[in-house]
Amino acid sequence: MSQGNSQKFEGASRYVLDEELAQIVNISMALEMPLLLKGEPGTGKTMLAHSIAQSLDMELIVLNVKSSMKLVEALYQYDTLTRLNDSRFGDSERDVSNIEEYIKMGKIGQAFKADKKTVLLIDEIDKADTDFQDDMLDVLDQMEFDIMEIDKTIKAKNRPVFIITSNSKKDLSDPFLGRCNFHHIAFPGPKMMRKIVHVHFPEIDHSLMESAIDAFYRMRDLDHVEKKPATRELINWIRALQADPDFHPKQLSKGQMPFLGILFKKSQDLERAQSQGGRVYR
Amino acid sequence: MFIGFFYTLKEAGLPVSPTSFLTLQRALEMGLINSTGDFYTSARTILVKSERFFDIFDQVFAHHFDGVELPDFKGMELDEMFRSLLDEWLSHPKELANMLGIDESQLAKLNADELLQYFKDRLDEQKERHEGGNKWIGTGGTSPVGHSGYHPGGMRVGGMSRNKSAMKVAASRRYKDYSCQGTLTESMMGEALKRLRHLVPSGAKDNLDIDKTIVQTMKNGGEIELVFERSLKDRLNVILAIDNGGWSMDPYIPVVQALFTHARAQFKYFKTIYFHNTIYSTVWEDPERYRKEVQIEDLLKNDPETRIIFVGDASMGPYELIDTDGGLSIYERSGKRSIDILRTLSKTFPHTAWLNPIPKEHWHYTHTIKKIGQIFPMFDLSLDGLEKAVNSLMVK
Repeated sequence: MSQGNSQKFEGASRYVLDEELAQIVNISMALEMPLLLKGEPGTGKTMLAHSIAQSLDMELIVLNVKSSMKLVEALYQYDTLTRLNDSRFGDSERDVSNIEEYIKMGKIGQAFKADKKTVLLIDEIDKADTDFQDDMLDVLDQMEFDIMEIDKTIKAKNRPVFIITSNSKKDLSDPFLGRCNFHHIAFPGPKMMRKIVHVHFPEIDHSLMESAIDAFYRMRDLDHVEKKPATRELINWIRALQADPDFHPKQLSKGQMPFLGILFKKSQDLERAQSQGGRVYR
Repeated sequence: MFIGFFYTLKEAGLPVSPTSFLTLQRALEMGLINSTGDFYTSARTILVKSERFFDIFDQVFAHHFDGVELPDFKGMELDEMFRSLLDEWLSHPKELANMLGIDESQLAKLNADELLQYFKDRLDEQKERHEGGNKWIGTGGTSPVGHSGYHPGGMRVGGMSRNKSAMKVAASRRYKDYSCQGTLTESMMGEALKRLRHLVPSGAKDNLDIDKTIVQTMKNGGEIELVFERSLKDRLNVILAIDNGGWSMDPYIPVVQALFTHARAQFKYFKTIYFHNTIYSTVWEDPERYRKEVQIEDLLKNDPETRIIFVGDASMGPYELIDTDGGLSIYERSGKRSIDILRTLSKTFPHTAWLNPIPKEHWHYTHTIKKIGQIFPMFDLSLDGLEKAVNSLMVK
């Protein structure tokens, strides 16, 4: 189970990693503890799991948590409908009397059964009920679960690298937090943002990047905005600015802001940005 | 190792568990931690489970490993201090005149409101000057005087350096905005809104979900099992009652109003009313408390299921609350005691909450806070307090 211990994570081609986070990822992998990541949208929580998988050459399995999800769905599913159908019409290859043929592995089950160590991303765990986390405690501790229908225990062949993200809509339960390492990814500063933009647009015009990032942070500082623009919005905005032949970076420093709708997705915010936009530039 | 550090964290109010401390020891033993920087990162990721506590962690870390004086977590809050200063100055008009740089005769011409405004403006100027100079001083982040007596010369606060030491990282207090203890600020808006989202009703589980019933029945091999869903209930009526009388409330009103304005779409009906210090026979719909009066009788006619959220410091002279003619305004002579009116409100509307911008630790200094706190469930105006208030408003 510990074959991955010697591996170290050092970032990937499409992801800009800060040193602190690299240390946290490495220590969590060495201690074999799940890493819980919080932070506002656009700070690269999900991207981190992708880049760990990429750089350590592991398979990435993503479990997108939904609000109504029960843990058992993530472990395995017993396909009763197909079995009922098969027994009614009898035209399939499957053996109706063998329940195991109707058991499908869920994402956690797939990660446990994989022959090689995998990265298991449990995305936005806070969406589900607290039951989901409570049920997961056992699975995390034992690294195994039972399939009740066929009375069989699935054990993890390799302990996956657990990356769990939360948007902190709800607080996670204390026992669950106790089993995780925790990190909060702060929103990147302008310096970091330059690197990030550079990773996405290696050939970007320097003055365009500078003025766009500058304008972006000023727009983030506007008062009373409900949903602040995040990294994703900036990247799309720059893409739009680049695509517009009439656009010149100087426009931004003059206070003309094209395509504001890309940065602000709520109509109230957009109005506010349009009305305040002029004032930001004295 | 580092047992002292562990206990200092605990004493500072950080919920650290022995298990996680043992995990940290394991990490040390495995040779994963080779520098103070490593230790800072690892200890935080293992011991601290919420970004709200990152700030306390940073402070304790700087204290323990670099001898930075730990701020007094129970220190007098800014507001309290200015209040007492103002009281003192008002009893020595000559000093006050000197303070504000105007002579006494001019001062005498100012009425109370103008005086307060003038005083406040000066305070704001002072606040900016000091805040810019040093982030480290004061628990509230705006204290211009630094009551803990800490001298910042020893640490290069905010200094730019490529080679960031753990000490400096800890001292820069990057996570101050995430701390849940401080009074609500603009930057916490997003988090605060998320907490307000819980302010939605949940009905009884009495709607038959036919699809789920069929699936469940099939899983049971034909044994019928009925699955019920929560029925949707009507959205809530919310009345926000704001004390906009005293200058002590001013910094918080825009934040609270913006917060509820953003959230109003989730309410069926939303209204803001204003009062000064406490409620007598009238409240107002306009912030100037002049044009649109609402008689308390009309307020009481609202649906009893309405959630009323008061925002105020609940600090006033005791007579304002318990005298029959305690009102500050000369028009306010209803002959009813304010405390009785508050009790009537609390009886009529079972779901109320009072949000108080004064930190909880200081509540027991003020008699009227205690009194009002007995009538309405009172919470401090912080992320934690807001969450608790929403929970209490949703209790059946």
